[in-house]
Amino acid sequence: MAKSRFKSPWILHFNCGSCNGCDIEILACLTPRFDVERFGMLHMGNPKHADILLVTGPANRRNARVLRNLYEQTPDPKVVVAVGTCACTGGMFHNCPNVLGGVDKVIPVDVYVPGCAARPEAIIDGVVLALKKLAEKKVEPVKAVGGR
Amino acid sequence: MSKGQTKRKYTIFPFGPQHPVLPEPIQLRFTVDEERIVDVGVNIGYVHRGIERACELNDYRRNVYICERICGICNFIHALCYCMVVEKLLGLEVPERANYLRVIWSELNRLESHLLWLGLFADAMGFESLFMQFWRDRELVMDLQERTGGNRVIISTCVIGGVRRDIGRDLANLVEQGMLKLKRHMDALAPVILKDPGIKKRTVGKGILTYEDAVRLGAVGPTARGSGVAKDIRSTGYAAYGALGFEPVVEKDGDCYARLLVRFYEVYQAIDLILKALKEMPEGKIRVKPDRWPEGEATARAEQPRGELFYYAKANGSNRLERLKVRTPTLANIPSLLAMLPGYEVADIPVIVLSIDPCIACTERITYLKKDGGK
Amino acid sequence: MVRMFPNIFRNLFSKPATVKHPFVPRKPYPEHRGRIVFDMERCDLCQDCERLCPPAAIKVDPEKKTIAYDPFKCIYCHICVENCFQQAIKAEPDYTPPVYQKEIKYFKPD
Repeated sequence: MAKSRFKSPWILHFNCGSCNGCDIEILACLTPRFDVERFGMLHMGNPKHADILLVTGPANRRNARVLRNLYEQTPDPKVVVAVGTCACTGGMFHNCPNVLGGVDKVIPVDVYVPGCAARPEAIIDGVVLALKKLAEKKVEPVKAVGGR
Repeated sequence: MSKGQTKRKYTIFPFGPQHPVLPEPIQLRFTVDEERIVDVGVNIGYVHRGIERACELNDYRRNVYICERICGICNFIHALCYCMVVEKLLGLEVPERANYLRVIWSELNRLESHLLWLGLFADAMGFESLFMQFWRDRELVMDLQERTGGNRVIISTCVIGGVRRDIGRDLANLVEQGMLKLKRHMDALAPVILKDPGIKKRTVGKGILTYEDAVRLGAVGPTARGSGVAKDIRSTGYAAYGALGFEPVVEKDGDCYARLLVRFYEVYQAIDLILKALKEMPEGKIRVKPDRWPEGEATARAEQPRGELFYYAKANGSNRLERLKVRTPTLANIPSLLAMLPGYEVADIPVIVLSIDPCIACTERITYLKKDGGK
Repeated sequence: MVRMFPNIFRNLFSKPATVKHPFVPRKPYPEHRGRIVFDMERCDLCQDCERLCPPAAIKVDPEKKTIAYDPFKCIYCHICVENCFQQAIKAEPDYTPPVYQKEIKYFKPD
């Protein structure tokens, strides 16, 4: 079961205040040109099913609570990928009043994907790096964690 | 409400902010009577960033890059509208060639956005293969944006006083070939949109917005044009639209299918506009530099893929703007959406919500700060 | 039914739309705005790029003669590339690869 996790990672995408640019590039990854379903990646809507959390956009004050909630709901082992410049540091929105500046101020981030908007190739590379990280993380003894 | 109805139990369920149908966080609260929707409330502010305030803190030339990132899908038109308002403040004349280039890029943006929407709409109807077809054709447009502008999504070519990059003869040929290829692909998909009974069953008669409602609630863009309101800011002739000649696409029925058809015909219209602009583009300069700082008040309007975009700016002769106000089409369309939903079934929600093409990243700006703070 | 056959044959023998990205790297377009590299032999530390950079990703220190460039704050608008008088900022057409740790790049004269 642990092996199948790396063969078919399930992805949860959360937009916490980005400009939509990175979001449509994540969607573009799913479509014929950059078909990520070749790697068995599936886009899920439910945080309890997900292994990889793709976060776009600078976290703002209202979103931070929702984001932390989603992070806690995702079962271990999990990897967080910050997609786009604004998810890494805040980027263009670094001096906006309502922006905390970077997802890593709210939850621990494992992989940073730069680019504004991040190219689909860069996102795929980032997810491949995330899979290596996922393999390194130890699977804790099953204690009813997400039922897997 | 009569007495008998108040005794009935209604269910209230929230839809969002994290939901597979919606790529962006918005919360809709539905009051339903078994399967029928009775009332809808909307709760936004999840992606509020305070962009308008940030625009007052920065140099006015840098603001182009912030305004571009209000929305990633229609980024060029945001930048264009911001540049137009500042050019009015400065009294700057944009070179003719730059106006044509601006039209080409804003129509490429519109193509990208409409193809994206057509795909998402097909996905909401459960028509997975049509979704894939539209997104495959969209990559043609994305490639052209990358070749001409420099980036797949955020083009960043519009600056105050013109554009940053020129489209040379080789690139113009490339764009022309790409457009003709896209037209062929669209011709192949047209019978599906126009004849498929599955699409008609899911969309015809769903989410009706009458002509009177569209006018009263101030609907803009394809939402209004689907209800028979011939309202399109491009017909005012900003940039080079006046020289190119322009007629808005209008459908009369006011349901989801009419809005689908408006967007589908606008894809053809955008292709024709790009081909015409490439043919008629004059030679000359593409950029003039501003020679003073902005002063006074001005407004500018432009047509986004989703509707009318409005910018207001006030400046006092320093290198910063005193106030910038942005009104985006999704905000104007939300009242129409709330009027459309009641009376339909829960299974129709994704189709009707998507039919106004909501862009939440556009919607959330300084207007909602007070509302959020009050909670 | 008969009208479907040309379409089926075309789909059987045409090239797939998918690019084999991680295995076969795609050649980047020369027009793409990609990675930024500073050429310290040409740079005269005029700080123009620092003033122009919209997200303030470039910090020039004229005393230590170093440039601190944060690729995770850069929005790749290439406004610095176009405005550099010494043409000391070079643009590569490929993108910045994703990493595990954020780090600021320092450019010093050798």
